[in-house]
Amino acid sequence: MGHEAGVEHRVARSTRPASPHRSRPRAWPPDAAGPVTAPPTPRRTDPPHRPVPGAPERADGAASGVRPATGVVPVPARPAADAGPDDPLVSVIVISYNDAERLVRAVRSVLAQTLRALEVIVVDDASTDGTADAIAAIDDPRVRYVRRRANSGGCGAPRNDGLSRIRAPYVMFLDSDDELPRHACKSLLAEIERTGADFVTGQLARLYEENGRTRRYYPELYRRRVVHGVREDPEMFLDCFSTNKLYRAAFLRREGLWFREDLRYEDHLWSTRLLCAARRFAVVPWVVYLWHRAPEGGPYRVSISRGVHDLGNLADRVRMAQLCDRHLVSAGFADLLAARQRRFLRQDLRVYLNEAVPVATVSWIEGLQRIVRPYLAEIRPEAYEGIDPLIRVCCHLVAHGTPEELREAARSLTGPRVPPRHAVRVGGRTYWGTVPEPGRDITACRMAELPFSAARLRHEIERVTAAGGRLGLVVRTYDPFGVLGDGVGERFDVHLRVRGLRVPLAPERHPDGGYLSRVELDLAEVPLPRHGFTGHCVPRVVVTRRADGHATRDVLLLPPAADPAVLHAAGHEVTVRPEGHAGVLRLDWRYAGRPHRMHRLRRRVTAALVRRLGSGEVKLAAYKVLIHVVPRRRDLVLFEADCGRGYTGNPRYIHEEIRRRGLPLRAVWSTSRGRRGFPDGVTLVRRWSWRYVWTLARAAYWVDSHNLAPAFPKPRGTRYLQTWHGQGIKTIGFDAPELRGDFEEPRRRWRAAVARWDALVSPGAEFERLFVPSNGYTGPVLRYGSPRCDVLVRGDAETARRVRAELEIPDGVRVLLYAPTYRDAGKGRSVRADLRMMAEALAGEWVVILRPHPTERYQVPQEVRHFVRPADGHPEINDLILASDALLTDYSSVMCDYAVTGKPMLFLIDDWEEYRRTERGVYHDLPAIAPGPCLYGTEEVIDALRDLDAVSAAYAARYAEFRRTWCADEKGDAAARVVDAFFGEGR
Amino acid sequence: MRASGRDPVVFVAWDAEALGGVQRVTHTLAQGLAVRGHEVHVVGIHRSAAPFRYTAEPAYHRHVLQGRIGRPSRRRLAALLGALRSGYVVLTSPGTVAWAREAIPRRLFTVGQYHGSYEHARSTWHLRSIRRHYGELDQAVFLSPEDAWRFTEDCLLPNAADVPNPLPVWPARTSPLTTPRVLGVGRLAGVKRFDRLISAFAAACRAVPERWELHLVGEGEDEPRLREHAAAEGVTDRVTFHGRVPAERMPLLYLHGSILALTSDHEGLPLAVAEAASYGVPAVAFDVSSGVRAVAARTVPPGDLDAFTAELTALMADLAARRRLGAAARDRVAAYRPGHVLDRWEELFTRLRL
Repeated sequence: MGHEAGVEHRVARSTRPASPHRSRPRAWPPDAAGPVTAPPTPRRTDPPHRPVPGAPERADGAASGVRPATGVVPVPARPAADAGPDDPLVSVIVISYNDAERLVRAVRSVLAQTLRALEVIVVDDASTDGTADAIAAIDDPRVRYVRRRANSGGCGAPRNDGLSRIRAPYVMFLDSDDELPRHACKSLLAEIERTGADFVTGQLARLYEENGRTRRYYPELYRRRVVHGVREDPEMFLDCFSTNKLYRAAFLRREGLWFREDLRYEDHLWSTRLLCAARRFAVVPWVVYLWHRAPEGGPYRVSISRGVHDLGNLADRVRMAQLCDRHLVSAGFADLLAARQRRFLRQDLRVYLNEAVPVATVSWIEGLQRIVRPYLAEIRPEAYEGIDPLIRVCCHLVAHGTPEELREAARSLTGPRVPPRHAVRVGGRTYWGTVPEPGRDITACRMAELPFSAARLRHEIERVTAAGGRLGLVVRTYDPFGVLGDGVGERFDVHLRVRGLRVPLAPERHPDGGYLSRVELDLAEVPLPRHGFTGHCVPRVVVTRRADGHATRDVLLLPPAADPAVLHAAGHEVTVRPEGHAGVLRLDWRYAGRPHRMHRLRRRVTAALVRRLGSGEVKLAAYKVLIHVVPRRRDLVLFEADCGRGYTGNPRYIHEEIRRRGLPLRAVWSTSRGRRGFPDGVTLVRRWSWRYVWTLARAAYWVDSHNLAPAFPKPRGTRYLQTWHGQGIKTIGFDAPELRGDFEEPRRRWRAAVARWDALVSPGAEFERLFVPSNGYTGPVLRYGSPRCDVLVRGDAETARRVRAELEIPDGVRVLLYAPTYRDAGKGRSVRADLRMMAEALAGEWVVILRPHPTERYQVPQEVRHFVRPADGHPEINDLILASDALLTDYSSVMCDYAVTGKPMLFLIDDWEEYRRTERGVYHDLPAIAPGPCLYGTEEVIDALRDLDAVSAAYAARYAEFRRTWCADEKGDAAARVVDAFFGEGR
Repeated sequence: MRASGRDPVVFVAWDAEALGGVQRVTHTLAQGLAVRGHEVHVVGIHRSAAPFRYTAEPAYHRHVLQGRIGRPSRRRLAALLGALRSGYVVLTSPGTVAWAREAIPRRLFTVGQYHGSYEHARSTWHLRSIRRHYGELDQAVFLSPEDAWRFTEDCLLPNAADVPNPLPVWPARTSPLTTPRVLGVGRLAGVKRFDRLISAFAAACRAVPERWELHLVGEGEDEPRLREHAAAEGVTDRVTFHGRVPAERMPLLYLHGSILALTSDHEGLPLAVAEAASYGVPAVAFDVSSGVRAVAARTVPPGDLDAFTAELTALMADLAARRRLGAAARDRVAAYRPGHVLDRWEELFTRLRL
């Protein structure tokens, strides 16, 4: 398929006017103009260009983005007669410059859309790589090809050329290196028709080509909704792309929107004008645009907007930001200036600080400072609200600091967020560097107030020597917050840890402050797997305080632009290199020798065999045979607590009682991988291992808290003591969501598993009323209280002291145990208190021990680490209960145990309605029975904690009633009585 | 719209001939579309142990992929679909989608249905399966706009639509609501919780003077247990077990009913409630999904049996309230008239071709 030469006669103009005010105001759509070049294979004349109906005649040029004239030639790829559907619903404008291969991929992604009534307008920005032929080879009448006469050097001009040719009522843009997911057009079309919006914007996802992973851009921004003007949500300034949107063409026409052609980042001004002009726009959460990120150093040049090492780009970005600001003012949106400027700080500037500054030269950074400084002076103080304190420091250093200081600070923005080299504390505030200026305030990071085990040091490698298998490092350690005090040698042990290897360091005081250590590492000593290792390791410096054994660990930094060093040790090639923008030291091992062929084969066969034989079904089948073959051992007890999570709960206290009495029983504990905290002399078996299966078959007693191995029938002669793990208001058994579904099978399995129990430990009458019928249990019930609560009844001041020391809780500070339960709806949703707000209000008086449900994962943010002690890894919740002064929970069963102590309890139940109705379901109306205040927000929690004594007094009667209901049988001797009843005489 | 009538529609169900809500809907739709001139196929992946005849004279083709012995084969599905030049393949459940998706030629449009509520999907493996597979289909179809919205938000589906399930017929006559009779319709299985209904009914009977009866329609393994339960509650003589009732006898039951009671732990869009509503019979139900909220006259918090008893008693005692709520319910379920629903499906097919 050939191409058509344009015949329209146009007036030649400069393609890139030197400044915007010199360009001539034009109506929308900007009419194409300019002399014609001959595309590769001219064959036919271009049909007359169809004018866009209803284009208003606007010649006032009021809008700031005035389109200058350029030279383009529209060339349809097909004769007009069979040019696709007559009425396309969406026009997709794909722009390209010398990118034929990826352009074809982009165009194909449009042609594969579930919406078929569309047209593709390919605007070729005067490519010289055969783009025209590549497009001609696509056999689809919906593709139209437009070739520009001269390259525009940007994206604005080709997009405008496309805009002037659209025939559909809706339009989208696509860049040649990206793709549209197949539902993009149709889903956006449906949404714009449903909402009547001026445009619809959708989630954009980066697609990393090296591993195929995608990452969504600010997912929290793309909640499905209709926004009535950008004032309703100025956060939307973060969405400054032209590509992830479907526009109503009539709206673009009415508002006279087109792209600037003389500056890069034309998207930004486009989006700003768009957001100001739209009375109503819709947002959708699904991915509508795949932004391909080619691996660095690959065959393709980076896209225009990604050249972060180019100061010209930066100048354009800043210029664009200024134009956006000016537009906001002229369009009557001056009140949103700060919001739009915040976007510049969070996104535009940050890209340079993250990626370019850490590896840049001093003169480059000076260039950056020259370019950005004038604009920073224009930025309103409100724009800094809610901005990362380290970004603020960087902005301050851009304006007032030296290039070296800026480079040091920029390395702290990503990765491990390393601390500064120096910091000063004045009047309770912390400042970056050596000067206490307001612009350097990093108090909000709370790096200076951390407990020692979370304290931050900065280790910079000053010199790397590589000789054979020996790696020599000179490490400069900065202690900006003075956690090491004076005598590092006497009070601390310092090690470098590389995989399993610990090499002692001897830091010496450096005259300029900080410490200098020299270390030589024999890589041959690093423990590696027997048959070679291919993988990496990030070494850390571990500083251990001798007095109490607390240790802090930090990574080491190399200059981010440093060249990798290669060493050879023990048959491996080891590369030493900086990772990421911060330049974290990382070692990569590659097994240099070829693995023995036989060995590899054997390993593969063995692995397949182990997988096959080790599968659950095989084990279960073997077990079912085993229990008929082997007899029970009369003295063997299998214990399991919390599904193998450790030595805890009722089984632990029953075991302790057995040991105390010296009963002739041998205990085996089942545990999942890597659990600690078991006392000496206890035999451990890995859960689901063959030994576990064997122990299940052999043990005369099973003691457990969660219905262990539900599919495994109980052998004849085994007695199973079910201790359960808590009581409370949550629905349980057949009433819980996992069993009340539409299917019978899970219920049948649970019934069979419950039928194995020979005795059930009961904490009290209320537990029996709810738990026993809802699990269909009919066997004997041992109502002596909970063995795990005995210690809570009796109290244990020594443990409380120990836990406070372990968690580095200073004297005189009160401890709030925060133990929320999990939500069925999803991980990470259970910690609902605003820890930042609590830290702001309560740090110094209170410390929070955060104990999420064992199935929950929650990472405590660095800036509240001074106030929150994560205790998800702590083996025993009783210790935390003993060490605390009050409890904050929601629906967790811990409330019933905690009530035994008589200490105050608070309930944060802001999602009570949801939890009660659609989430888990409850047996009790918590607000009616709670032994403490039910709170619906963090502010209320703070108020209640400040006035805790009065609050507890007000709830004294309810507390007593709650204890009567749930704790009446807790006498402190439950373990003894349970052991008597189950293991005692006559059994 | 009729233009799409030439294109075949293939329904694929896990077990197309067994007795169940999904199957009833599938056969109703198949028959309706076939009568409108589509070429329609209903494909069962598994062979049914006890086939049920949903339509007296099917105007559509029926197939079973599983042979007399052995597992069902995807190859047979591919061969069956290979004969079609164009058309729509409607996969009726997450299991069906996961099993059959790969075997469908690209030239055919794929539609995935989900007959449960969002709440139900969340408590089972369905949600993960929907998240993984439904976005890749040409269309995902849920029962209500509310469900479609929630699946869209949670699973980031770009292709969600909603079409309600059709009623089998739209009755011309409605129940006078004067027979003192409460209906319970569904399998006598655990999830339907008829034990709760019997308890609530027994309590309500003690509170109203008239002699009410409870009629349970359906069969299941729980029947002996439920009979015992009725005896324990002292209402043996007032509870009638109808067993399995053929579709053509259902209208008569509805016309003699005055209240429908639904005590299930889980329901997507309970068709029995919608059917009763079409006869002007109001329903009391636990508020377990948006589907229930859409069709039931009165809802109470899930599991709150006291509230349920109170609502049931109030309706038993008040004919005027029954009439008012029944008329409103009939208006509300007009959207589920078979003609409407078939129109919605044809619209959906047309839209797929855009």
